[in-house]
Amino acid sequence: MKLQGVQQTKWMGVLVFALAILVFPFIVTQSFYLTQATFAGIYAIIAIGLGLLMGYAGQISLGQAAFYGIGAYTTSVLTATMGWSPWVSLPIALLFPGLLAFIMGYTMSRLSGYYLAMATLALGIIVHTLLVEWRGVTKGASGFFGIPQLNLFGYTINQGIPYYYLVWFFVIIVLILSLNIVHSRVGRALRSIHDSEIASSSMGVNTSKYKMQIFILSAMFAGLAGWLFAHMSYSISPAAFTFDASILFLAMVVLGGSGSVWGALIGTLLIRMVGIVVHMLGEKFPFITSDFEHVIYGLILMLVVIFLPRGLFPTVADWFDALLTKRSSKKSMLKLAAKR
Amino acid sequence: MLQVDSITKRFGGVVANSEVSFTVEEGQIVGLIGPNGAGKSTMFNMISSVFPPTTGTITFQGTRIEKLPAYQVAPLGISRTFQNLQVFKNMTVIENVMVGQHMQTKTNLFGMASLLLGITRKERKVYDQAMSYLAFFGLQDIFDQKASSLSLGKLRLLEFARAFATEPKLLLLDEIAAGLNHKETQEMSALINKVRDTGVTVLVVEHDMDLVMSICDKLVVLDQGVKIAEGTPKEIQENEAVITAYLGADIDEEEVEEEAI
Repeated sequence: MKLQGVQQTKWMGVLVFALAILVFPFIVTQSFYLTQATFAGIYAIIAIGLGLLMGYAGQISLGQAAFYGIGAYTTSVLTATMGWSPWVSLPIALLFPGLLAFIMGYTMSRLSGYYLAMATLALGIIVHTLLVEWRGVTKGASGFFGIPQLNLFGYTINQGIPYYYLVWFFVIIVLILSLNIVHSRVGRALRSIHDSEIASSSMGVNTSKYKMQIFILSAMFAGLAGWLFAHMSYSISPAAFTFDASILFLAMVVLGGSGSVWGALIGTLLIRMVGIVVHMLGEKFPFITSDFEHVIYGLILMLVVIFLPRGLFPTVADWFDALLTKRSSKKSMLKLAAKR
Repeated sequence: MLQVDSITKRFGGVVANSEVSFTVEEGQIVGLIGPNGAGKSTMFNMISSVFPPTTGTITFQGTRIEKLPAYQVAPLGISRTFQNLQVFKNMTVIENVMVGQHMQTKTNLFGMASLLLGITRKERKVYDQAMSYLAFFGLQDIFDQKASSLSLGKLRLLEFARAFATEPKLLLLDEIAAGLNHKETQEMSALINKVRDTGVTVLVVEHDMDLVMSICDKLVVLDQGVKIAEGTPKEIQENEAVITAYLGADIDEEEVEEEAI
């Protein structure tokens, strides 16, 4: 159903993207790249959620890694310690981050200004400390061992191609959910808040309610990513859920463009590629260590904020649009000329 | 329908409105007029719950609304336009109107995410309805243009259409004709009458006297935050206090003229 003049999900784009995901393991067969691509998928889920929060609710979270970590540790404890099936623990791994986001959002009922950024920053630090110090449950800094693998119809989903497909299956779901939200009544309401909060509330839009819902959703996406991460790895440790990780997610969204669901996805892929390039350079030149990554991320953030404040994806998309309309207007002018 | 009862609003030491009372009857077009700084816009903002009055009450169809947040007043059936244009610039014309229809469908975030069949059908309905509102206001030909690309006249119409799309019982128009040329103003008067004929009560704040005098059933005149007159356009035109407020007292003018000579 095409509604002209209204932003709608472009199913063609989703389809093309899904096909690219499908064929990728056939083209790139080295397991290193496959693992990287799987990780990129896990991060993409977090980045899409954060992108919704930043671009549509106008809020910044500096603590997405906390929700990610809570998701991962929740399922680890439920499955490894308590013996639950990972599929049963999945809803709980979504629920806990969502609940925490609800409590945070509720106490800061209006979610205005930079308070959420500050509060999530603190949350990230608290959660990381908890993961390290609450040894009885999390087994502390050395990490949590023995997380079971996922089973589907008696078939174990191993790291490698099976897990790659599982992760990207979830990414596509998250992508479709997010695109639908953005292109619906609620998405329109959120976009209208961006342009004029006073006008949208006089249209009956409960602005703080929608901001809150998006915050909860972004936390649940991060929880899902944590669940995927935990069951991919045999062990997890608090080192994966630091402030650095939160900043990395932020960089992905800012690079890709926060006003767009696709932007967050593309940003994630680009940042992961930078990571791979740095890693490869590091093998050749010993002075390039993994810390070098952070320097480059910082540089990218700065450059994007200065030169492409809307992010890569919306800017490039507009160039293409301009190019296409120029072409078509040229064509129609030529046609007119020919008629005469 | 709307009772404004001894409303006072202070901003620090400045008294913007003082003990103002008036009523708006159902089906009328009521004009709120007065010289610059009379407190019209302040009154308007209180009726549409942008901010609360310092003292006094505002009752709409039996419900006290002066302390409600704006998003709770809208569902009662009050909608407004903004003098300084609060159009959603980054959205298309039809999307603007569809935000106006926000209250007419009730779907939550999680239902929406799955884009169930019922929801797409609802979207279609909202879209078609939006198109009919656009046609009502003569905007149907530019429905897919970005709002930021419109002229002032079209922007005012779009604000009007968006407010009308909330299906209000009472529509507040804040200087809807400001900046419009003579022809556009006349078209606007015709539109306001047309909207009233659909059963919507209209309260206008307006500087354009021709517009106000031609369409309003009743006028409320404010000067320096105080109500100085209330009545039909004809009564207001003959009201001494109003003439004084607008033109200054006769005696002053003569003095000024003499001094000038």
